[in-house]
Amino acid sequence: MTNATPTTTGRARTGLLAGRFRRPAGDTLLGYLLVAPLILWLAGTILYPLLSAIRLSFLDVGIIGTGGQFVGLENYSKVLGSDNFWEAFGRSLVWVVANAVLQTLAAFITALILKQRFRGQGLARVWVILSWIVPTVVVVIIWRWLLGTSGGIVNYLLVTLGITPQPVGFFGTGPTARTSVIFINSWRWFPLMAVILLAGMQSIPEELYEAASVDGASAWQRFWHITMPGLQAVLFVMGLVGMLWSINVFDIIWLLTRGGPSAATTTLPVFIYDTAFFKYRLSRSAAASVVLGLVLLAFAVLYTRVMAPRAEEEQG
Amino acid sequence: MTTDLAGLRRSLGVYLSVAVLLIVVIAPFYWIFTGSIKAPQEIIAQVPTLIPQSLTLEHYDHLLASSAFPRYLLNSTIIAALTMVITVVLASLAAYGIYRLRFPGSQFLFKIILVTYAFPSILLLVPLYGMLSQVGLIDSLWALVIVNVTFAAPFAVWMLQAFFRAVPYELEEAAALDGAGRLRVMLRITLPLTAPGIASIAIYAFITSWTEYMLASVLIISDANRTLPVGLAGIIGQYQVDWGLLLAGATLTTLPVLILFGLVGRNFVDGLTAGAIK
Amino acid sequence: MSKIARLLLIAVFLIVAIGPVAAQGPVEIVFWHMEQPPHRVARVQELLDEFNAAHPDIVVRQEPQNWGEIYTKAPAAVAAGNAPDMLFAIPDFTPIIRAVGAVQPVDDFVAEMNEAHGFFPAAIEPYSYEDHVWAVPLWNMAHSLWYRKSVFAEAGVEPPTTWDEWLAAVQTLTTDTQYGIGLPANRHLYTDQTTYDFMINAGASEIYNPDGTLRFNNEATVAAFDFYKQLYQYSPPDSPNWTWGEAEACFASRTCASILQFTVITTYDTQAEGDPEDLGVMAIPHSADVEQSGTIAYVNGVMVLTDDPAKQEAIYTFLRFLLEPENYGRFLNMEPGLFLPVTESGSQAASYWEDPMVVKYKSQIEVMLENSRNGMLFGFTGGNIFPSIAQISAQNLLAQTLQKVLIDNMDPAEAVAEGQALMEEAIED
Repeated sequence: MTNATPTTTGRARTGLLAGRFRRPAGDTLLGYLLVAPLILWLAGTILYPLLSAIRLSFLDVGIIGTGGQFVGLENYSKVLGSDNFWEAFGRSLVWVVANAVLQTLAAFITALILKQRFRGQGLARVWVILSWIVPTVVVVIIWRWLLGTSGGIVNYLLVTLGITPQPVGFFGTGPTARTSVIFINSWRWFPLMAVILLAGMQSIPEELYEAASVDGASAWQRFWHITMPGLQAVLFVMGLVGMLWSINVFDIIWLLTRGGPSAATTTLPVFIYDTAFFKYRLSRSAAASVVLGLVLLAFAVLYTRVMAPRAEEEQG
Repeated sequence: MTTDLAGLRRSLGVYLSVAVLLIVVIAPFYWIFTGSIKAPQEIIAQVPTLIPQSLTLEHYDHLLASSAFPRYLLNSTIIAALTMVITVVLASLAAYGIYRLRFPGSQFLFKIILVTYAFPSILLLVPLYGMLSQVGLIDSLWALVIVNVTFAAPFAVWMLQAFFRAVPYELEEAAALDGAGRLRVMLRITLPLTAPGIASIAIYAFITSWTEYMLASVLIISDANRTLPVGLAGIIGQYQVDWGLLLAGATLTTLPVLILFGLVGRNFVDGLTAGAIK
Repeated sequence: MSKIARLLLIAVFLIVAIGPVAAQGPVEIVFWHMEQPPHRVARVQELLDEFNAAHPDIVVRQEPQNWGEIYTKAPAAVAAGNAPDMLFAIPDFTPIIRAVGAVQPVDDFVAEMNEAHGFFPAAIEPYSYEDHVWAVPLWNMAHSLWYRKSVFAEAGVEPPTTWDEWLAAVQTLTTDTQYGIGLPANRHLYTDQTTYDFMINAGASEIYNPDGTLRFNNEATVAAFDFYKQLYQYSPPDSPNWTWGEAEACFASRTCASILQFTVITTYDTQAEGDPEDLGVMAIPHSADVEQSGTIAYVNGVMVLTDDPAKQEAIYTFLRFLLEPENYGRFLNMEPGLFLPVTESGSQAASYWEDPMVVKYKSQIEVMLENSRNGMLFGFTGGNIFPSIAQISAQNLLAQTLQKVLIDNMDPAEAVAEGQALMEEAIED
């Protein structure tokens, strides 16, 4: 690995040495001062609401805005004992894994295509990201329009080309709705991932590939032994952030299916929203979201322990 | 000769795959745009038309006459611009601290920052509403700026890392020898060198804010303060689906970011890449 | 903690809270309604402008909201003190806002308006419980079965009145390019409504026993769900995702030969042929066990949330203005043919019948009015009104039960039993 990314580690070393030799005492203080505004901002907007939510989860508030009594762990035992919660949990797992696989695959393919030299490369690199820069609501309109049965082009093509005998109700059955929503969400996000991967790939020196070619390495070997190690740091963060983002996706699912049909697309965030605002069990919903938050936190800690690239640790 | 042929085949393959890629991403947009200029009957015709047979701007007239679309556009722009400025300031300061100064615990702080994504925005919705209400920010554009910065900044910090690592320490040392203080070095030497990266996170923050829907739908009450996504969701309507109106709305919502990206999109992509190459 | 956070927020963001406007100005009234389509908003604004011009001491403003968000937004706003002064409502939304403790009784005002304009009794009933009237009724809406006369004629189908005829008609109407009927199966209010249409016409209109226990689980309900399933086979494959709009679009594009809907007039007129001669509307067919057709009907009303007497008086002034026959018809015609009058004087008002769209589709609107006379709303029937219906309808439990039958292929009897269990759980506290 050290061989594969000499510049990165090399740069890190110089930096580290430089830091060690010339780290005036004031730097540590300055460092904290510089990070402080952001940390305070996040604390105000995440930590405080988080504490309120935890408090709420020990009460028995029903409708938002009404009062409640302290009930201890009752909400947690109700949530953890509810089939609906665990079903939503399972759907969230499927959702996150399917999205991760699909997006990673699409993003890698896209990045590898865009890495080639061709005329119009600059334009293609900019506009491939189009699906990410439009609001979720637009994404929803586009796909409801494309996949509908009244005037939808996809169904028209399917039937005309004889692929299916009849129009498909993409949001009409559990499996098709799940698949459609996963595809739409991936369509929305893979370009951003692709562009970031592309940036990562660009950081790998071309000489490495040339040397490997001279040694007779196949394209696959080059990808596996040069590209992948070179992308380790990028993949680490994208993996973590991407999964956290994707498990918390709510709006696209809600706007497309409202969690249906028959709860087939009710992932945990949808379940939480539904419990709070349609079942009028605000505290129970808070308990469910605290559980989700804890699971994600555990995941994040575990992930950073296990997956952290060595270079990152060195600098820590 | 053979290499030529292989080269030709190769570049043909490249162009073909680029074409497929762009169709996947861009064709849906072509479809909504052409839909938005079709007459209502043609929009929902059972045999869709690839090239519009009827050209009309009636949906756009209808949209602009009957909804406060320009107002939504203005609100979204203000919120996105403020989100962008605040994110850039907070994220570059933090990134400088974490990646340049590498003080004890800096990596830990970085992880804390990233881990904020672990908490579902759904979870924060109710308490955030209560909190913003206490300080009188419900139905205020500021409320959305505040939450959007929270969504954008952590990832922005990470996006900056390559840039800050890439600036040679020798430059800062030289400046320091000339007697410039740490802050001056940072502002005069380091930050300008990371300009492409800062442009990237600025665009990133702008887009993050531009696309946000859920909190905007709950925290904003009056029509005059709605953002584009919420305004658009409003005309999706529950009672009637006027596809012409919707497609016109979707097109007009896409257009500003299209123009913006046409102007600065290269900076976003190149910015990310530049940081990586150095 | 909250104080610290508060100070912190203020300090960090340097935001100046917007001070209230000087106290001496006119009384300002803000109301939220859920009639968000642009042309409805424009019509309401027209009336507001007239009212505000005629009443310099009062300013009434509208803030259109979305039904999809209002269940989150309204209670949160009430709790945080950001509530509007008036909020439009349907009968099963009122108990939710009441639970947050904000709805003011309007008994005296409703009595006064009843004196002046003559409310239809069925209009006040769903807002009258626990000794008070909780909203001022504004309009009524009821489902009918919509079709094209030419399409029926071509297929040789007579408008059905019984379920047997209905099933046969829908079968005949279904071809390669046309679905016999468009029926939703979404977990949505629209599906609650169509489901209840079937329940009424199977003789299962009562959900509660007089003592407040549930009687949803009975043979008539099962028959209704079973028949829904039989018709549903002839509905488009994306109907599990439908709300009102998709059904209308399906009808407008001729993909659906018939649909159950409050109205299709605007869509039919603007997006389809717009030929009033060809647009058919009739009462929903009923099962052999029931004597006549019934339909779901919603009386929409407006709740008064402010407890400031000056504001309340201003609101009453405004509502008096709105219910005056010369204004009321124009108000209802914000969506011509959808909103039906709830007052005697309104039902005869020239302002109602002279709207060009109403003139054009007069025969259809008369049928709708006729159908609405047999309208009922689940949980608000037979004098047995229990506010807990709000929990049942907010979760769309009728639609959820229907989905068990249509999507999960559960036996109707089993699904209805499970549905009742869900309802009992929903209203338990």
